[in-house]
Amino acid sequence: MKYLIILFLICFISTTSYSQQDSTHVSDSTRPYALVAGGSKGIGYGIAEALAKRGYNLILIARHMDTLMAAKNKLESVYPIHVEILAIDLSYDTAAGEIAKWCTDHHIHLKILCNVAGLGGANDYLSFPLDSLRYMVRLNIESCMALSLTLLPLLEKNAPSYILNVASMAGFAPIPVKNMYSATKSAVVFFSYSLRYQLKDKNISVSCLCPGPVFTKPEIVKDTKAKLGWFGMKMALDPGTVGEVAVKKTLKKKLIIVPGTLAKISSDLIRFFPRRWVVNLYGSAGKKKTS
Amino acid sequence: MSWALIAGGSKGIGFSIAEALAKRKYNLVLVSRNMAELQSAKNTLENRFNIKAEIFECDLSSDKSAELIFVWCSTKNLEVNILCNAAGLGGSKDFLDLPIEDLRRMIRTNLESPTALILSFIPILKKNAPSYILNVGSLAGFSPIPSKSVYSSTKSAILFFSFSLRQLLKSDDISVSCLCPGPVFTKPSIEKETINQLGRAGKKMAVKVSVVGELAVQGMLDHKMIIVPGKFSSLISYLLRIVPNRLLSHIFYSHQKKNTDNRNVNQTIQ
Repeated sequence: MKYLIILFLICFISTTSYSQQDSTHVSDSTRPYALVAGGSKGIGYGIAEALAKRGYNLILIARHMDTLMAAKNKLESVYPIHVEILAIDLSYDTAAGEIAKWCTDHHIHLKILCNVAGLGGANDYLSFPLDSLRYMVRLNIESCMALSLTLLPLLEKNAPSYILNVASMAGFAPIPVKNMYSATKSAVVFFSYSLRYQLKDKNISVSCLCPGPVFTKPEIVKDTKAKLGWFGMKMALDPGTVGEVAVKKTLKKKLIIVPGTLAKISSDLIRFFPRRWVVNLYGSAGKKKTS
Repeated sequence: MSWALIAGGSKGIGFSIAEALAKRKYNLVLVSRNMAELQSAKNTLENRFNIKAEIFECDLSSDKSAELIFVWCSTKNLEVNILCNAAGLGGSKDFLDLPIEDLRRMIRTNLESPTALILSFIPILKKNAPSYILNVGSLAGFSPIPSKSVYSSTKSAILFFSFSLRQLLKSDDISVSCLCPGPVFTKPSIEKETINQLGRAGKKMAVKVSVVGELAVQGMLDHKMIIVPGKFSSLISYLLRIVPNRLLSHIFYSHQKKNTDNRNVNQTIQ
């Protein structure tokens, strides 16, 4: 009888502890983490969702706590994962160091780093204040390089791991009306090419997402329609699809990722033709809109 | 009197550009970090050519450099119609070997400060048109080089920027050029590194600093978009533009790896 009671007790304890574990997702924190810088909305959110679908825990970083909170709630309610959120302005010099420190302090099992945060828009040079110009360089280039460097030790420890930088098709050829944007994105493309080879021996795969137009905001729909016409509308994708393709191909260790067949063909043409032709073409398309 | 502003004009390619401009009777505004070097550059140029040279000490990687230079030029009432961005950071150490602060300095000196400086000066350049802008890129801006990843990224960005800016300023009679030199032996360390990495081809590609400055100014005044000094470098630059980036970065990487492996073997033997 005594043994029976003990046996019963053991069974009870083990079942309750098991059910407790189940209800609070304790076992989830052993799952690998993916950090998405700029993951609260747009393409970043698309990428976060595609990663969540594959069972990765997430660390989302963005400027605003409310959009982060909304993203966290949405993702955690649909997928059985943990979502950590950090409200940090990535253009600050201290941001990369802070994020790396937070990750090591919390013993994050980091396997994927996605640098998505970026700033762009039309007519981004001549009519821009100097501070916005600097902000753009720091967010689009510096933060991507800085985060890759500071998180490298963690990624190396958890190899095989992945880095995904988000550039743009604008990084393949200069677009006059998006002067600073396409310059900064070309730097990201070049950086990704180089980094891929530098980290080859460390078993870290580097990919670079170069999407055509993605309809993340209503302005972009309008802008694309005005500048590229029906062709642009046909090339455009929604952020969900872009995120899904990006994650799938990142995990397959592709270097340059261009989602969408039409965008892929255009990007190959842009890379093939002499830059001067492409710039002239872009220049006349830009003028069509302003006149 | 027309003035030419040269950021990073106290030595190296910047100084040779200054020399070529002085030869053409332009007055000069030289900007750099080091007052002693600026002073000696000013003395050399004013003695050799019959021109005036103003100097301004300023760290071009600092946040407000563009604003400071612009305000200083406006208070002196200098009618600038040529703007050359020759300041740049590079070297054999790059991503993975450098602390993040140094990488930021590189990005800010090579990309942020030229774009900010040009933007501040566009009103003056418009007023004094026809004007010229010369950015100094590099052959490294044509293809990604893994061992110089941040350097070649910033140089690619400045090349893209120059292409776009040329279109944007066409109607204002401001011509934009981008100088993309191959190896230029401005320091003994560069000569050693080039021969080490590129061997005979590197030595053949190298062009004298004074020649680079002269060709750059000539090309700029001829409204050329891309200026690659030296026939051999020019040929290489076409190759770099035609061959896919993927293949190029692979070639650079395996070449680099072979070199470092050889060096390691040599060191262990010694």
